[in-house]
Amino acid sequence: MLMLILASAAARAQTTPTTLLYLNAKSINFYYDRFLLEADGNVRLRTSDGFTVTGDAFSMDLKLNRFLVAGHVTVHDASGTVSGAAISDFLDFKRIYFVPVTSVPDRWTFLNGDLVHPAKGRVMPDDAFYFPPITTKPDMTGTGAVVGTKSYVRFIGAVAYVGGVGIPLGSNVISFSSNQYLAQNSLSGATADITWQVAGSPNALTALHLRYDPTYKVYGSVEQHFVGDHEYAILSVNPATRAEKWWNAMLYEKLGSRFQIQSFTQYYAQQNYLQEPRAAQQTTWINATYAFPHSYVTATSQLVNYNVLGPGSLEEPKAIGGNLSHPSFAQITANSFQNKIANLPLYENIYEGYGFAHDTVGSQQYLNGFAQYPQYPPVQVPGLQSYGALCAYQPPTKGNLQYFCPTYTTIYNTVLGFNLFTPSLKLNHPDSPYQQYYFNASLNKQRQWNSLPHYIDNTNTTLTISRQPSRSLHMYAGYEIQNIGDHYINGGYEQCTGPGTTYCPDSFTSFRGVATLRTTSFGFNDVPSPDFNFSLLVRHHEDFPIPVPGLFAFPANNILGQPLYSWWLGQPPYDATADVRFKILPHTLADISRTLYWYGNPYRAQYWQQNFVIQLLPI
Amino acid sequence: MMRPSTTVFSLVLAVALVAADPSIVVTGQLLAYQDGFVFFTTGDGFRVAPGVVIRDAKTGAATKLSPAPRIWARATFDATGTVTELDLSRAALPPEGNFADVMRFAVAASSPAPNPDLLAYQNLATPAPGGGLPAGVSYSGKPVLVTFIVQVPPTTPLTSSVYISTDQSAWNAQAIPMDRIDALHYEITRRYPSGTIFNYLYDRGSLQSEEIAQNGLSRKPRKFVVPDADVRTVSDTVYAWQDQVPGSINQQQPQIMPTPYNPAPFPNLPPNLPPPQPPGNKPPI
Repeated sequence: MLMLILASAAARAQTTPTTLLYLNAKSINFYYDRFLLEADGNVRLRTSDGFTVTGDAFSMDLKLNRFLVAGHVTVHDASGTVSGAAISDFLDFKRIYFVPVTSVPDRWTFLNGDLVHPAKGRVMPDDAFYFPPITTKPDMTGTGAVVGTKSYVRFIGAVAYVGGVGIPLGSNVISFSSNQYLAQNSLSGATADITWQVAGSPNALTALHLRYDPTYKVYGSVEQHFVGDHEYAILSVNPATRAEKWWNAMLYEKLGSRFQIQSFTQYYAQQNYLQEPRAAQQTTWINATYAFPHSYVTATSQLVNYNVLGPGSLEEPKAIGGNLSHPSFAQITANSFQNKIANLPLYENIYEGYGFAHDTVGSQQYLNGFAQYPQYPPVQVPGLQSYGALCAYQPPTKGNLQYFCPTYTTIYNTVLGFNLFTPSLKLNHPDSPYQQYYFNASLNKQRQWNSLPHYIDNTNTTLTISRQPSRSLHMYAGYEIQNIGDHYINGGYEQCTGPGTTYCPDSFTSFRGVATLRTTSFGFNDVPSPDFNFSLLVRHHEDFPIPVPGLFAFPANNILGQPLYSWWLGQPPYDATADVRFKILPHTLADISRTLYWYGNPYRAQYWQQNFVIQLLPI
Repeated sequence: MMRPSTTVFSLVLAVALVAADPSIVVTGQLLAYQDGFVFFTTGDGFRVAPGVVIRDAKTGAATKLSPAPRIWARATFDATGTVTELDLSRAALPPEGNFADVMRFAVAASSPAPNPDLLAYQNLATPAPGGGLPAGVSYSGKPVLVTFIVQVPPTTPLTSSVYISTDQSAWNAQAIPMDRIDALHYEITRRYPSGTIFNYLYDRGSLQSEEIAQNGLSRKPRKFVVPDADVRTVSDTVYAWQDQVPGSINQQQPQIMPTPYNPAPFPNLPPNLPPPQPPGNKPPI
């Protein structure tokens, strides 16, 4: 809450100068590709700088932050009214160029907002009164607009055009702020999202979303942004129109030049409208970072409460959901900067951390079934925290509840790791740069000791050789070894039963929690012009355990259909991804990619990525 | 009394003057038409003859168009610098004549005075990447090939996609996809008009995987002004990705290692594998 108040207060107190322009005209058009705002007929412009302009036509380049009013212009401020042919305001430079018509035309320049003492006759920039050429149809029209310079434009009576079809929106805000915090969002992914930004200011943005995903189908969401130069607060409810509601709050604050703190809180409630929830959970993640001259320390904590409903909410026969787990973890880690090692072509950075994880198995860890309700029998809970516990003993009961195997509820850990890498090293010294070969190598090694007793090793080694055979071509060959070991000091993985069966293929009989993945890659891309690009990536994996078709489920994809994981157990031994990008509109590229996976001998199975991934990208 | 030779010379000169077309024609876009003057987008105003002829620029016939802002016009000046004819068009007209030839006819109450804003920056060098745009500098707007090359952290997975997000595309995290050229470098070439100013950051496809500063804090966007050059190469270094900082939310927790029951990053192990077992198969309480 404190962070929210700080973020909101700081957002209000932001000192970035913004001029407000209130524009009315017979027609107002907006062109998204160039951020042009054009208006014609009975133009009336009121500025927060203290003057009002009327005229026949208005043109503003929102990115260049300058506007022009032309034709039968009157300029009115506290000192009086002057008529003229055109006025152009270069807002960033505090220069207003005016062509007054008293008895004859003249040229006046107003300096630094002083409209009383013009510099007469000054030479003006050549393009002070130019209209930008417009060759496309407007993307949005309106009857009025409010421009917050360098940050947003809000249309009144807005009509958005999609495929030539007008969609009346009433009020609509288009943000073009350079503040990247306005782009932060707290909504989960969706297959499709139509955003209507109904209100905004330089420091705030209110958006309604119409979304679709396979779980919730079509639903609405609301998101509110508050941003400042060094802070933001993003609040949302998603879906807002379903009984399952996720309330989100993302907060960020940078205090001084060395410290920042951020958090994300998600509150889940199953409730109709705003009635009493049938179930409610809450997750909060907090991260704070302090920077030193050559290193930094970051502390992270996550807290989960699977039952926010209060006492009695789990008791049968009036149970309304949730369980008693409170997973949490905290970690503090020190990281060094990248440092060059002596005069060697080698860089390193190291990190070390301490922390603990409590109840990390999460939901359903302890509480399974109800003693007095045999139709809900207790279920064995596998996983690290029931390490070794098959729950052969009868756990104590508490009321109607049974609690199972609370073994190792808190696991402490120590992490030590380092990165070692080379810059691009020249392998030869040819006459032509197109015959030059480069070599890169990197090594990441990490060990995490757990109080279980148990430790986890990660080692990742990458070697590549690259060459640019011509101006437009790049190619590289790489070899990567990824080793992940899950080592138990006592006990550990048992041999799976039934070797050679579907669920226990040969390599699993010797699998003891250590997976090794070796990947050979060949990458190639051709960029003959900025408007066309072709790339190809072919990989061969030699993994342990051996991937068997049908044995491993495929990993999840993101909403675009791209794999979420860069590697996974069971990945087919061969894959090839082709990607082509080409220009389809003056300001749009199409990007199409697809991947073919195949298993080679002896399985010979193959499959394509489930669909083409097609994206439209702005130029 | 004039001598015959002088008379002949005067007649020839008069015929030559009459025969030569004294009118000057230029085309341009109108800024305003009012108070007996026509203004072009150069900002110059010219007197208009009371009986100025207004025609359609394509057909030469009468037109319903009126001189107004944004309208293109072919203006005919007489010898006194007065506009006697305006041929109008909504579409841009091919260039004709030269405004330098009619500048002397432009009407202005004040004498031209130098503009220190413009003089100060006449010979200014193109700002380096990351530098701001000095006040008053103007660019030609010509297309410039800009190549971005970024060195990424060694922990970047070989299959990672790297993007540039910019304020030009509302910080869309996948706005500009880059191409991997070796283990540590990605590259992309785009064409921008010179003078384009944009702020940008590198990311791996989402705002959660955005680059951070070497000191672990979120970094300010990089700023770039496209210079008046044919090509420009911008080289940057990303020291870390937000989602890969050791100790962050992505810190490996005990349950995410390849135990058969842990869903990530192995959501796909066969369900019948037994869990890790302690010696003697007893609960270690």
